[in-house]
Amino acid sequence: MKPMKLLLAGVAAAVTTMNSVYAADLTIGSATEPSSIDPLFSRTGNNQNVAQAIFDRLVQTDPAINMEPALAVSWTNTDPLTWQVKLREGVKFHDGNPLTAEDVIFSLARAKDVPNSPAPFSGNVASIDSMRPLDDLTVEFKTKKPTPDFMEQIGFVYILEKKVAEGATIEDYNSGKAAIGTGAYKFKAWSPGDNLTLTKNEAYWGNSQDFENVTIKFISNDASRVAALRSGSVDLIDAVPPRDVKTLEGISGLKVFSIASSRMIYLALDSVRDKSPFITDKDGKPLDKNPLKDVKVRQALSQLINRQLIVDRILEGSGEPAGQLVPNGVAGNDPSVKAPAYDVEGAKKLLAEAGYTDGFGITLHTSNDRFPGDADTAQALGQMFARGGLKVNGVVAQPYNVYTKGASGGDFSAFIFSLGNSTPTSATGLRNLLMTVNKEAGTGSFNRTKYSNPAFDEAMRAATAEFDAAKRIEGLQKATSLVFSDVPVIPLFWQKVHWAGKANLTYVANMTEDTVPTLAGLAK
Amino acid sequence: MTVFVIRRFLQSIAVLAVTAIIVFIGVYAIGDPAEMLIAPDASAAERAQVVASLGLDKPLWEQFGTFIWNALHGDLGRSFVFNRPSITLILERLPATLELTLFGLCLALIIGIPLGLISGLNPNTATDEVIMTGSILGFSLPSFWQGMMLIMIFSVWLGWLPSTGRGQVGELLGIHSSLFTLDGLKHLILPAINLSLFKVSLVIRLTRTGVRETMPLDFVKFARAKGLSENRIVFVHVFKNILIPLITVIGLELGSMLAFAVVTETIFAWPGIGKLLIDSIMRLDRPVVVAYLLVIVSLFIFINFVVDVLYSLVDPRVRIGEAS
Repeated sequence: MKPMKLLLAGVAAAVTTMNSVYAADLTIGSATEPSSIDPLFSRTGNNQNVAQAIFDRLVQTDPAINMEPALAVSWTNTDPLTWQVKLREGVKFHDGNPLTAEDVIFSLARAKDVPNSPAPFSGNVASIDSMRPLDDLTVEFKTKKPTPDFMEQIGFVYILEKKVAEGATIEDYNSGKAAIGTGAYKFKAWSPGDNLTLTKNEAYWGNSQDFENVTIKFISNDASRVAALRSGSVDLIDAVPPRDVKTLEGISGLKVFSIASSRMIYLALDSVRDKSPFITDKDGKPLDKNPLKDVKVRQALSQLINRQLIVDRILEGSGEPAGQLVPNGVAGNDPSVKAPAYDVEGAKKLLAEAGYTDGFGITLHTSNDRFPGDADTAQALGQMFARGGLKVNGVVAQPYNVYTKGASGGDFSAFIFSLGNSTPTSATGLRNLLMTVNKEAGTGSFNRTKYSNPAFDEAMRAATAEFDAAKRIEGLQKATSLVFSDVPVIPLFWQKVHWAGKANLTYVANMTEDTVPTLAGLAK
Repeated sequence: MTVFVIRRFLQSIAVLAVTAIIVFIGVYAIGDPAEMLIAPDASAAERAQVVASLGLDKPLWEQFGTFIWNALHGDLGRSFVFNRPSITLILERLPATLELTLFGLCLALIIGIPLGLISGLNPNTATDEVIMTGSILGFSLPSFWQGMMLIMIFSVWLGWLPSTGRGQVGELLGIHSSLFTLDGLKHLILPAINLSLFKVSLVIRLTRTGVRETMPLDFVKFARAKGLSENRIVFVHVFKNILIPLITVIGLELGSMLAFAVVTETIFAWPGIGKLLIDSIMRLDRPVVVAYLLVIVSLFIFINFVVDVLYSLVDPRVRIGEAS
């Protein structure tokens, strides 16, 4: 694989690609494929890419994940439990029927019981107690409890046409019969594993699109996708591997579009249990005390990491050193919380203060096929920890599908994982990753190490109960600085993501890592 | 023959049953599908909902029992990822793989047999050396690298052929296939070459060895003495004799080409079953993996059966042996 890519890059550098986009059609080479055209079937990124082209939501996000109006133009809460949402006028579905309050109510009701949905939208509508139309374009919602971020929840559910979607099966969506939305493109055909075709919706309520026809080809292999762009058989590709970015930038006729995403790569630490399975003394014998419980040790580990070096050497620049959950620009980021400086001496001092002058033994775990450089990053961390006096017993890399079970099952002591934030504030990520695991309260669903910090939980509850947007964000910032001073996980970097396309195209690189034709256009 | 068929049938049932058990338990042991499927910001409640709707909260024996019961009723389960019947997913993608494999196999035979004959009839000549050395390349170049090279040369540099996906699908006598359109054929050429290069080398070597072994035999000398033309000797009498090993190997290779064209299908983004398999394994789509392997085992059983029947057609000795 590796020599292949180098060879490809080398050979490729000598060739130029001059083909221009044919007429105003667009062909995208995408790494991922939807599992269904039903937009409410799965909330995962691969499905969102296509859903966003055909369907709309009440709100949408800009490239920096700020919420902006879409099918809803305004929303107000008349009292803490009541919301009134005003819909956009003159919006038409692909079959010509107008959007009404009934369609919105139907879609939100359907969101929680799509049969066998592997990633349902049920959480988005969980706070709804009842809903009713006030007129054709106004919906009134009652919530079960005060929900300040109500629109952030229901706003991202795709709106279907009731008349068409009622009783439709997944086959009806996949064949196009029920794939009727209000989006910028109409569904034409889907040939699973191969391609999906769309045509322009002339009656679209938003900005007019530059392309008459869009074809999305599914090319999961990185090298093949890059080659497809170079041969001119596609105009735009996503998920450009970091190592190919420089090559593609050097080819005249091609352009790369990049952004630091809000996907945080972090090292999770088993900081709760008294004994940890992969922590030993210097001789490799199990320790009866878990050093990772000591915040000084966790701080020391964080300071031993030279994040910039990892970004420069392993990711070839495709990253941004991270010290908290979301990057600057996303609501909830606290500018005062910085990635700890690389400081071996300081770290050694902290280790000595914690009583580990001679260090201890540790094994690192990682996936090896989840994101670019995951296994290499773990190797580098191992070396950096060794420099600080720790004895690294090993670095174990596993395929992601095997790895996740161990990571969630508490089999590891220190392991690399990632968390993508696709919501307008850091609230969802913080709640899932760092709040105490509590099924009833719905917190800590990805808190794999069972970290628990009552002061942080309280700060989060206070922040998310706040109706004033500015105060809510301030609260999230406070919670962020509070929890990261305790080093619950060690943030490593935010991944940079790249798209590449022909030079006569533009593409809006976005933090949510979406590949949607509406974000592409012809260069003016 | 009837006894042979019945015995084969019973054997096949046993093989299928054992495969089902091994595969199901094996696939069950890997990872946690819920981890792979849920949204990156899913709440605990959503996660519980998914686990329950996929039946992952039930013990292994219960899941296996449900699977066997449904399988006996012809239902191999629904895909976790697509929520469509696994068997439908597989059958939907089978035509793409079939046309790729058959096209590749034809290439292997059309190129391989003549070259093998030339080599075998002119042993230790320069032509023979060239052909044999060429076949070493076919054997030893990794399929992945070959594929990338084909793309680099024919798509990126020369721009002659498309490098990804299946072309336009045409219809002939009710059969839908990309073999019937020019665009479809263009898309087919590179992946088919990639898939067939190894088989070409294999066919060359088998043919050459067969010819070299058969030519000195008494019946060839007798035919010559009888005054038959060299063409008739080679293309009728010798050829029949070298067909037996060829049919055996090609039969098995056809099976493996169909089932595991994974590398080719991945590089060329070919929407076939090999790609479906590898994607399903990565995503822990257990029902599809299990159904796929059961389909493939059935396919191998069928191919072997056909190969055995072909033997008896080609080689009278097999027929006589069965009869006595």
